[in-house]
Amino acid sequence: MVSTESDTTDPILTCDGVTRSFTRGRSGWLSSPQDTQTVVAVDDVTTTIHTGDVVGLAGPSGSGKSTLLHLLAALDTPTKGRVVLDGTDTTTLSESQRAKLRLDEVGIVFQHFHLLPSLSARANVALPLVQRGVPKSTRRAKANDLLDAVGLADRATHKPAELSGGEQQRVAIARALVTDPSLLVADEPTGELDSETGRQILDLLTDVADDRAVIIASHDEAVLDRADSVLRLHDGRLQSESDPSMHREIPHES
Amino acid sequence: MRFLTRLRAVIGIAGAQIRTQRLRSLLAIVGICLAVLSMTLLTSLGMGVVQTGQEKFDASGRDLWVTGGPVKLTPETGGFQNSLDNSHRVADEIMARDDVATAYALGFQTVYVSPNTSEFETIIGVGAPSGGQSVTVTEGSQYTPGDPHYNGGSYDGPMTHEVIISPEAAERFGVGVNDTLYIGSTLASARQHEFRITGISPTYSNFLGSSNVVLHLSELQEVSGTTGTDTASLVTVKLRDGADPDTVASELESTYPTLDVRTNQEQLEATLRQQAVLIAAGVALVALSIITGIALTLNLVLSLIYQQRREFAALRAQGLSVWTLVGVVGTQAFTYGLLGGLLASGLTYPLADVLNVAIQSLVGFENVVVVDQRVVLGGFAIALVIGLASALAGSWSLARQPVTDLLDG
Repeated sequence: MVSTESDTTDPILTCDGVTRSFTRGRSGWLSSPQDTQTVVAVDDVTTTIHTGDVVGLAGPSGSGKSTLLHLLAALDTPTKGRVVLDGTDTTTLSESQRAKLRLDEVGIVFQHFHLLPSLSARANVALPLVQRGVPKSTRRAKANDLLDAVGLADRATHKPAELSGGEQQRVAIARALVTDPSLLVADEPTGELDSETGRQILDLLTDVADDRAVIIASHDEAVLDRADSVLRLHDGRLQSESDPSMHREIPHES
Repeated sequence: MRFLTRLRAVIGIAGAQIRTQRLRSLLAIVGICLAVLSMTLLTSLGMGVVQTGQEKFDASGRDLWVTGGPVKLTPETGGFQNSLDNSHRVADEIMARDDVATAYALGFQTVYVSPNTSEFETIIGVGAPSGGQSVTVTEGSQYTPGDPHYNGGSYDGPMTHEVIISPEAAERFGVGVNDTLYIGSTLASARQHEFRITGISPTYSNFLGSSNVVLHLSELQEVSGTTGTDTASLVTVKLRDGADPDTVASELESTYPTLDVRTNQEQLEATLRQQAVLIAAGVALVALSIITGIALTLNLVLSLIYQQRREFAALRAQGLSVWTLVGVVGTQAFTYGLLGGLLASGLTYPLADVLNVAIQSLVGFENVVVVDQRVVLGGFAIALVIGLASALAGSWSLARQPVTDLLDG
């Protein structure tokens, strides 16, 4: 368990003995068992995250950071163990059920923004609401509110190519928040930005943590310093508290 | 209600994609349009050839066509291969039947023609009787009736040295009524045979689609050296009212077992069969065009998906279903098909007119490309099929890509 501040509330996310392994190499009826190799990307990770937590996820390249993030966001399911998101065990769900769970409970922010270039900032923000069948006027109003909240009210009709990197990331954050998720996951959200813009994005991410949990994966110690606590991965394993050089928990400095 | 809201949004996103990717969209639409146009125009040309041929045979006023075998076109000159011997005798014997109104032999032979004795060109020489439905003169007069040089098969009657020429031949050689032309099947023969132009007639150019000169059959045989076998291309037969063409054809085939006797429809079909390679090439061209249209649109749709694979993956990660994204991609592909089909349908008619002008100037036939509404509708349907096929392939491509792989990539 990494967070202590909200232990009295029900956890929004529980990760119980989660392992994710992949089979790599040639497979098929002509291949032999020696042709394939099983790689354990995440190994027996257990943690709990509560609403209001801002959790950092750290580790070197190949440590299993992205894989764990995908498992926590219900993008993938573990080979062993279980991930419970807002009371729902994701391992029991089909792909379409997990998509529905993500739509309702998870917002995701990517390092490279991934906005549709043909749509305006407002239309990009409103996209997840299309899946819910929300009427256009409601979609526009909600997208406008969120763009206003991230300081882009005057850029609503601009397309991604007409926005700076920081502005595009703010649009992506607004898109992630448009469904009012209980969990916000950000994968290297400042990786493409300069330090000042990155700081503004982190302010934004930590500001929205009041009503939800926020998980931020990053290599950047300055980013991790803004988290209430940090999960450090090495070779897929969560580092024990007894090894402070590899694993630390940072209490919220409020 | 939610479904309709989602559908409207999907269409809106697809529309934005089409508008933003203008060059790609234009290429896809033009590609489909070209595939459909090749189908509609080639089919219209094929149908037009059959229809025009049928009209020509019907307008000929003949009921039966008697040949020594298939009448073969010789594409290099636009002429026919002669194949019926003893043609005058056969024509006279058929003419003697009670159920036959007229029967006469026609010869088609490539000949050298020149208004002087030095600059010769090859065109089609027609050996035909004078007057009636055989040759309609629009300027000047018919040549001497009958076939005096034949003289019962001895070919020692007087040569009239008269010729009727088509308007195209008159223009080509810069000659008119009462001018002189030198005609023969060889240059030497042509220099020796001088003919006086008695009239101008479009009759055979309407039928053949090219310049021609019309002589008495025996005189054509004389200048081409075929008097020994009395060779002609065919004998045309007009029946009396009430006579059944099939019955007469059957009786004539019994009388002349070595000859082919065909009704108008059979003669047209036989002529078209000679063009089997051309027809097969046309069908192959249509099939290839459609396949190319599908391939082009597929390629564009798939590259569109590939280009935005991470954006689509991000949206799937955000909870958008594959079907919503499939709807976006599918709507795009279907729109390409729809617009390509509409464009092709609209262009088919004016392009058919352009082709008709070109064909008329090249080979002389008018309105050979006949656009049938069913062909246009068929072309439009194919455009939609291309769009749907692309949509399905695009959807399959989207659905098989794991989100996490794309996000990691």
